[in-house]
Amino acid sequence: MTSKIINMAEHIKDEKDRMLDSMFASEPIADDGFSAQIVKKVRRRIWLRRLALPVATLIGGLIAFKPMTEMVRVVAGLTTLIPEDILRVSDAVVPQLPMLVLGAMLLATILVGLRTLED
Amino acid sequence: MSQTADHQLVARVVSGQDTRAFGELVRRHQSHVRNFLRKLTGDYTLADDLAQDCFMHAWDKLQTYSGKGSFIGWLLKVAYTTFLQSKRKSKRYGEILEQVGHATANDVPAYASQSEEVGDLERFLAVLTEEERAIMVMSYACGLSHREISESMGMPVGTVKSVIFRGKEKIRTSFDIEDHQHG
Repeated sequence: MTSKIINMAEHIKDEKDRMLDSMFASEPIADDGFSAQIVKKVRRRIWLRRLALPVATLIGGLIAFKPMTEMVRVVAGLTTLIPEDILRVSDAVVPQLPMLVLGAMLLATILVGLRTLED
Repeated sequence: MSQTADHQLVARVVSGQDTRAFGELVRRHQSHVRNFLRKLTGDYTLADDLAQDCFMHAWDKLQTYSGKGSFIGWLLKVAYTTFLQSKRKSKRYGEILEQVGHATANDVPAYASQSEEVGDLERFLAVLTEEERAIMVMSYACGLSHREISESMGMPVGTVKSVIFRGKEKIRTSFDIEDHQHG
């Protein structure tokens, strides 16, 4: 009830209000491709966001590739320092370590891919 | 303009990043937003650039719209924030404000005489502060209720009413000044 009274009071206009109404009145602005331009920009932004993660991963991978291979080589060189007995033990505990690492990498790639598709 | 339709479109955008629904929202409200910014800046090109920025911000922030107030009220809030942010950043805005926004009542005839195209409305808006101008435009040009304006501007309804009253008084005073000068 109170809000109705307030709304009614808002709609009671004096001469000044009517003068301002007429002064502020203007024809609706034609769209003229404005909304299409906005939608185009929005779609571009969506694509940029979708591409950002894979592109960043790719660039990061490319940058990290050389140092990573060098690091793997160094680590592989270090394995010669490990006594053969210990290596045999690790083989016995984790028989397919390379397969596990490969599987984890594949899983991570699939998850990232699925998330990108979902977005 | 149906609020239910606006809410449905917003829901489609938020739930599925539906660009068509967003395009429809832009089509429905672009006139009000551009009109608001044109009256606020007095520069059509600048206003349309800001309107584009405003809709891009709206796309980013749409999930923050709770659906409680009107969508156009929320959109004009985004437009006003975009205007303020841009004004802070842009030197060009500073120049325009020197000419328009910070003009005193006594400066009005001087400003008006700089361009023959400047109409009554622009001259009257020039005597208002930025906040008063935004509220007057929301009220008289966009037809927002006092409640909608209070939600947009983040101020109590009573303050909105007093700002509108003050704005009207300023305009009336500047009318009188003009009448004396020309009369």
